[in-house]
Amino acid sequence: MRKEIVVLGLGNEVMSDEGIGVKILRRFEEHSEAYPEVDFLDAGTGGVSVVHMIAERKKAVLIDCAKMGSAAGTIKRFTPADVKSVKELSDFSLHETDLLKVISLSETLGTCPGEIVIFGIEPEKIEPGGKISKSLSDNIEGYIALISKYLG
Amino acid sequence: MSQQKSKKIRIDVKHLTRVEGHGNILLNATDGRIEKIEWQVPEAPRFFEAMVRGHSYEDIQIIVSRICGICSITHSLAATKAVEDALGIEVPEQVDKIRRLLHYSEQLQSHILHIGYLAAPDFFGTPSVVPLVGKAEEVVKTIIGIHRAANNWSDVIGGRTTHPITILPGGFTKIPSEKEFKELYESLKDTLGKLKSLASAIETVAENIPVFERDTEYVSLKQTDPSVYTFYHGDITSTDIDGGTVPVKDWHGVANEYVSDQSTAKWAKWHRDSYAVGALARFNNNAKLLSGKAKETAKQLGLEQGCCNPYMNTIAQLVECVHVVETSLGLIDEVLTEGLEEHRPVSKARAGKGVGCVEAPRGILFHEYEFDKDGRCTGADICIPTNQNHANIQKDFEKLVPEIIDEGEESIRGKLEMLVRAYDPCISCSTHMLNVEFVK
Repeated sequence: MRKEIVVLGLGNEVMSDEGIGVKILRRFEEHSEAYPEVDFLDAGTGGVSVVHMIAERKKAVLIDCAKMGSAAGTIKRFTPADVKSVKELSDFSLHETDLLKVISLSETLGTCPGEIVIFGIEPEKIEPGGKISKSLSDNIEGYIALISKYLG
Repeated sequence: MSQQKSKKIRIDVKHLTRVEGHGNILLNATDGRIEKIEWQVPEAPRFFEAMVRGHSYEDIQIIVSRICGICSITHSLAATKAVEDALGIEVPEQVDKIRRLLHYSEQLQSHILHIGYLAAPDFFGTPSVVPLVGKAEEVVKTIIGIHRAANNWSDVIGGRTTHPITILPGGFTKIPSEKEFKELYESLKDTLGKLKSLASAIETVAENIPVFERDTEYVSLKQTDPSVYTFYHGDITSTDIDGGTVPVKDWHGVANEYVSDQSTAKWAKWHRDSYAVGALARFNNNAKLLSGKAKETAKQLGLEQGCCNPYMNTIAQLVECVHVVETSLGLIDEVLTEGLEEHRPVSKARAGKGVGCVEAPRGILFHEYEFDKDGRCTGADICIPTNQNHANIQKDFEKLVPEIIDEGEESIRGKLEMLVRAYDPCISCSTHMLNVEFVK
């Protein structure tokens, strides 16, 4: 059965800081018994599939790498209404998606959770490799402590 | 002559991505004379070839599943087949069947996304899928329903919707229960009905598919023992070799990868200057082997073997959706009749080199790896369908633009963009992060 709350870790864990969302998700998965009302899902770079992962839930918490113009390692909590996307897309391909557009599709379809919380983490570097930059890895405990407050 | 002919045409559609570079459509023409027409593309994520070096043969399929969020199952399966080839690992028949079921799920996931999110807005005349909800709500709901069923299908066998975790060299870590297979069967029966309604809806707007033909070489897998419409087994064939085949181990002599001046990605050619891979290529090589309902869908939508209209790739995808679902109903029946066999794969490291070839939704995909005596990867070579299609997109542009040069800039731009969308190139899928400005 679908739980009322879903936490999605987004990104690619073999592209350094781009994978921070998935890395944090893994940490939550290790202690998932502490959150019986929460589904933890690795959304990877599945793009539009997020529509289905958040459908018919009460709340969705999305953790993703985000360019926000802040110092590397900064975490910010926001809702889709707080931001506008400045991501440039050609609309040529399914291989490039914008999470905010996917949420907008979900809203249009009427299957979007009433509450969406996004945690964006500013990257230091995006390049091939599995290692997260120090400016992010040093803060992982802090990220987890902050996000866990919003899982109820 | 028309007014447009006296005008300059300057089309420069930029496709900016963060890591891999950029891809452009570039057209310069004056008074109907074409000065430059180029499909400029960035390198696809070849760095995965470096990334797997030094890793154990048991981990390769997990790493390469991150190449692509749309075709992650396909990359995992191609890598697993290559590892099995290199290390001489046997695959039990039932494992093979369940893998094919998993692979079919990704064909449906990917195709329905392509049809629904990229092509349908063009067909119905809306800029994207969001406004399409207002114009054709039932169609979008049908597409969403099929997509969700496909995702659940991948999830139940692969352990995740994307980036599967159950595939291992020689077997699976876990297979679905009998109950899960029965539920999947019911879901696929329902999906077959939804695909029928979708085909009827697409039929009503099929006139919006541009009429354009260019005689093209089509390359895909072909399986003869037994003869089936294949995505997973078989050898390489082409419409230019009269039903003949080439073993997959000789794939370098098929792709003949080369560097083009206008692109940092490698391009490919076989018997001509370019070839096409993907649903239309598979259809053109194997159409007679489609399932009954898939053949009916092809007929309904006017798709015939030998079709050389690249825009019809989307229709071939819809036909394949019907095929994979109908075929999977039979496969599930077979697996349940045999009885599920829990199989613990056993494999042992050894030195070797192997090739794995499968059909990704976008076309034939090659993975090749070499391992040392401890089973550590010492070399990798991955050739994705998108790279094999680049030269063909360029050749399509070169024939199409003179045919439509009088239509005006907006129409030309629209048709060129739609043509690229028909191929759905995999350009930037390895990263997806947000890029935002705060407004509150």
